[in-house]
Amino acid sequence: MPEYRSVFRDETKLDITYVPNRLPHRDREFRLLMEFFSFILQFPGKMAQRVIITGDVGTGKTVLSQHFGADITHEANKFGINLRYVHVNCREYRGSLFLILHHAVSVFHPTFPRRGYSAEELLRILLQILDEENAYVILALDEFESLVEREGSEAVYKLTRLQEIRPNKPQRLSLVFILRSLRVIEQLDASTRSTLQSNIISLEKYSKRHLIDILNDRVALAFKPLAVPDDTISLVAELAFSEGGNARFGIELLWRAGKYADAENLDAVAPECVRKAVSSIIPTMRKSDLASLSFHEKLLLLGIARLFKESHKAYVSLVEAEQAYAIVCEEFGAEPHSHTQLWKHLQTLSAVGIVEAEVSSVGSGGRSTLIYLARIPILELEKELSALLVKEGA
Amino acid sequence: MNVEDVFSSRLRIKILKILVQLGELNVSEIARRLGVNYNMTRGHLKVLEDEGILQHKVFGRIHLYRFNEHSLKAKSIRNVIEVWEQNP
Repeated sequence: MPEYRSVFRDETKLDITYVPNRLPHRDREFRLLMEFFSFILQFPGKMAQRVIITGDVGTGKTVLSQHFGADITHEANKFGINLRYVHVNCREYRGSLFLILHHAVSVFHPTFPRRGYSAEELLRILLQILDEENAYVILALDEFESLVEREGSEAVYKLTRLQEIRPNKPQRLSLVFILRSLRVIEQLDASTRSTLQSNIISLEKYSKRHLIDILNDRVALAFKPLAVPDDTISLVAELAFSEGGNARFGIELLWRAGKYADAENLDAVAPECVRKAVSSIIPTMRKSDLASLSFHEKLLLLGIARLFKESHKAYVSLVEAEQAYAIVCEEFGAEPHSHTQLWKHLQTLSAVGIVEAEVSSVGSGGRSTLIYLARIPILELEKELSALLVKEGA
Repeated sequence: MNVEDVFSSRLRIKILKILVQLGELNVSEIARRLGVNYNMTRGHLKVLEDEGILQHKVFGRIHLYRFNEHSLKAKSIRNVIEVWEQNP
């Protein structure tokens, strides 16, 4: 029986639900969040907090909130405070306040019935439970947009003003609103808006460097030593950066690339595995894109594809691409274009999204252009281009 | 009530089994699982509660029943059912 090899050590560390112990490049935001809620530990019941976390897809909103939730719950336990962090994805609950609150109640009473009362009654029930158990809840409403879309201001108003129906009682329900853009807040009426907008944590898009750090952390947890070369991490980071600095995309890509490596029985995750993986996620190579390229753009791209095929590298320099292009020109009996023209061709290829070009200032020889073949398996690209060029040349 | 009277009912034993399994449950759900009506379920729950075996909490219109944590009878019954279920 053949021995099963895998590049993974523990692939669950790449799962979307995994919350890592360390959040690279989110220290400041994490501290801020802890700061906003620090009074809960000092003066429980005196005040409830509301915080908005906003940022694009994959900027770490969910993981930041969950990491904070785990930490503050742990801290509260040390103080003898019964604090629960309840994370709800509003979209999963179809944006329904009733279902969201039911989830919160079911943390305390898992078999609580789903029928026979309204969202308002459920909110009162939640508070009754918290009073009886002397507990506090931080309710994180992830994909908050969904709740606003379905229920409008009313639901948010109920959540934020609930203390008014129970004056002089401990304030037990704090809220974290997690959303992509603050635009959704504008849909709320003025009085509801005013109850929300006090504390906002905006997560900036991750840079490529940030993404490399995040991916390195996950690689150390999820893969066997030396199974993921730096080149591969750099390529994944580049792709995740081009997807709007989306760390989640990068982590998923890493997992898929690992699966491709395992399927081919490789010892390490080569950049080509990443290209295959990315083309399985987003079908980026459209034949019409390739067909619409000029003759010399195709020649340049074929040269680049062959370079990648031979070198197994994650990126090549423009100088190397130029040399490979010259050979392809010879093969197809064409006069090579000048360096400046080639640079323009490269810009076109980059604009179409077939390659990604990045100016690098690494090394002593000044700036050089690095070319990434982002999302397309090389063999497929070479085959398609050769067929097109032969047809054009004939 | 005598022990033979409490355990003379098949439905009461079923209720206890359900609560060992699920921890706590509302009346309608217990009735649904037993396949009998609400009032009959309520009657049996009352017997078990009066004996101190069960307790319930009220949340609005919802009544959630569970074993009485402080009752020795409840502990022993739970134990018997658990042992029984694990060694069929």
